[in-house]
Amino acid sequence: MSIFEDPDVPLRGLSSRQMASYRFRRNPLALIGAFIVFSVVFAAIFAPLLVPSTESAGAFVDFRNRHAPPSWNHPMGTDNVGRDILSRVIFGYRVSLGLVVGVLGVAVPFGVLLGLVAGYFGGWTETIIMRFTDIMLALPPLAMALAITAVLSPNLINAMIAITLLWWTWHTRLIYRIVKGQMNEDYVEAARVAGASHAHILFRELLPNCFSAVAVKISLDAGFVILFGASLSFLGLGIQPPTPDLGTMVATGSEYMPEMWWQAVMPGFSILYAILGFNLLGDGLRDMMDVEL
Amino acid sequence: MSRILDIKNLSIDFTAYGQTRRVLNDVNMYVGQGERVSLIGQSGSGKTVTMRTIIGTLPMPPGKVESGSINYDGQSLLDLNVQERNRLKGTGISIVLQDPMLSFNPVLTIKRQMDDIVRYSDIRMGRYRNKSDREAHLMDTLRKVRLEEGSRILNSYPMMLSGGMRQRVLIGMALLNRPKLLIADEPGTALDVTTQAEILQLINILVAEEGLSLLLITHNLGVVREMADRVYVMERGQIVETGTRDEIFEKPEHDYTHKLMSAVPILYGSKVKTMEHEGLKPTIEINHVSKDFETRGGWLNRVTGDFRAVNDVSLTIQQGDIFGIAGESGSGKTTMAKLILGLTKPTEGQISIYGRPISEFAGTQEFRKLIQIVYQNPGSSLNPRRSIADQLAVPLKFTGHNKAQIKTRVGELLELVDLPQDYASMYPHELSGGQKQRVAIARALSVNPKILVLDEPTSALDVLVQSTVIDLLHRLRSEFNLTYVFISHDLSLMRNFCNRVAVMLRGNVVEEGRVADIFDAPSHAYTRALLSAIPVISDEEEASKPKLKNEERDAVLATSTALEV
Repeated sequence: MSIFEDPDVPLRGLSSRQMASYRFRRNPLALIGAFIVFSVVFAAIFAPLLVPSTESAGAFVDFRNRHAPPSWNHPMGTDNVGRDILSRVIFGYRVSLGLVVGVLGVAVPFGVLLGLVAGYFGGWTETIIMRFTDIMLALPPLAMALAITAVLSPNLINAMIAITLLWWTWHTRLIYRIVKGQMNEDYVEAARVAGASHAHILFRELLPNCFSAVAVKISLDAGFVILFGASLSFLGLGIQPPTPDLGTMVATGSEYMPEMWWQAVMPGFSILYAILGFNLLGDGLRDMMDVEL
Repeated sequence: MSRILDIKNLSIDFTAYGQTRRVLNDVNMYVGQGERVSLIGQSGSGKTVTMRTIIGTLPMPPGKVESGSINYDGQSLLDLNVQERNRLKGTGISIVLQDPMLSFNPVLTIKRQMDDIVRYSDIRMGRYRNKSDREAHLMDTLRKVRLEEGSRILNSYPMMLSGGMRQRVLIGMALLNRPKLLIADEPGTALDVTTQAEILQLINILVAEEGLSLLLITHNLGVVREMADRVYVMERGQIVETGTRDEIFEKPEHDYTHKLMSAVPILYGSKVKTMEHEGLKPTIEINHVSKDFETRGGWLNRVTGDFRAVNDVSLTIQQGDIFGIAGESGSGKTTMAKLILGLTKPTEGQISIYGRPISEFAGTQEFRKLIQIVYQNPGSSLNPRRSIADQLAVPLKFTGHNKAQIKTRVGELLELVDLPQDYASMYPHELSGGQKQRVAIARALSVNPKILVLDEPTSALDVLVQSTVIDLLHRLRSEFNLTYVFISHDLSLMRNFCNRVAVMLRGNVVEEGRVADIFDAPSHAYTRALLSAIPVISDEEEASKPKLKNEERDAVLATSTALEV
């Protein structure tokens, strides 16, 4: 037992939040991650104010400038119809982050709720929910998403639906495991003895103990959702042109490889940048909040 | 007498979250050749840090040796390199850890785990022994720790052995390479008192037989009295008093030692406080109650049989009683608590509270206003993610109080258990163990219950903290006319706290009555075995303990591996 976990000498004057932020601040990778995520989110929100050419985000052509290599005017070069790639990347982040918010906004609450219910009630409820989760996990995700978007028409909303349908399972499993562990703690029984309702125990007692794990998971997920969305568009089943999307841009640009490398590499690097940021941030949060996933 | 271990002016700092704290301050102590030395102190006093510095497992950072030296057998331990230091492990200094379950790897056999120790130490020492020689050595060692069925034990996995046997194997492991200094960290405290007594006896015999020197680290003064020649008392990283055992126990000089001594509940003699009050009218009537649990196994996890946790128990608890239910682990005392609280239904029999069968109204608001519980470990019974005020509010919220009422009541409750008002907004980890237990008591009292079930409320606390919590419970009882059902394995504490006691053994109540009667004239052999096993702190108590023959003890403690001394 470490001195600082000793039951009778709590660290005076440091709240858990202060201790956590201390751990975070001392972790260089976490800070880099936080910076990247901040820059991506900031760029996406203020895209129209930041980009060199707003019209590049749409169906704009400028054949005089097509295939221009990176320069001061076009830091990431231009594409096959002369649009500024940097502008399209920044607007692409908007689409990607929209996808992240849409997918996780639905999948996380749903998955967390199922996990809480399964872990808390146990018995048949648990069997039905968790075996259904197992079945969903057994489906190969990319193939399923392809099938769904192919049946529906390929666009942003349908891509979002496809990813959401497959994403909640991880949260259910995570929360289920945490709740199962917490059920052995006396505070759950203490709440029952105090007459607390099921809803109270689920949402007031158990849920707060899942928050840190969910926060870490969301941050790590964000990167993967971006990647997944980009994969779908790369295959032509996600966002359709002329909406700027990182996956579509890589797909179009790859036709001009290797001579006009910037058209595929720059959007590809931008995907990497965002995912790296979310993953570093997630790892940092994990260390900070001391959770296991 | 030559000194096998000599610690001089040792100071250690810990740094975390930008704060540096001194955890050991100028510690001087030594262990002579063949001497039994004890280091006592409460949790957080620095005794574990001292031990870990000696054996070289103190994490650095966050720890840092600021000054001082540790000499072992002529070598300066802090100046050795890793290899030289490793060479001493097991062969020079050996350690018996506290928790016999956590110290084993559950998926390897005992043989493999013991053999590894021998093999690696042989390699370090540049020796070679073949497999059968090593096995013979293991068998010899097991015989030394009085485990006769050597080959069965060697082929077992840790979970197949009882707690006492595991502790013996651990001691055996420590002795495999004939160390000169044995460090014992709270030996036997994780075990039942009857098993603990055997383990302590065994260590004493081995120290004499093998010519070991012993450094015993413990918070239990009774253990110290049985095990030590010389004592160091540690408080907040400093040695505050040292002397021979008799000096420390008979005329302690430092205030802290005094406080420690007087906080230990006395088992026998003139200093015992006897609660003599009699209950007024029957409050809880337990009528021929039994509880079975299904055991499952085999294909598809079918029900294979029943395990009887509580067997035909009948007790009457009167209003105003402090009714103790005593027993070791597995005796069914916690199941009794759950039955009384209506958390689980009896298989047979009936429990009534104030004349009403609890099966009629368990789980209703009315029932909750009658009976509440305080759990053993406040670290687990308080939700780490909710503020103290939120947690105190739960029982109130579900008995129809509005927000304003809850707020005033939370303030009252904190005052009731002597906690400052600003604790309301704190979280459990900001409180000490004793403070957390006060919050748990306040929560149980929030709806003004008539009965409190106390499930080992002080067993996770240090003895000084324990005595303040017990005082609080006494005060609350007289203030609110409460009835307590006190569940514990600590008979010394029960002697001073309860007015009636029931002793449970494997689901049965073997004896029940007024506390003075039970302790002064125990009629059942098991009660006598329990009482005689308790480590006490004075000769007066030792002399008053009930005596029983080894055959008698063996007859009641079927699982025991009692020593023949």
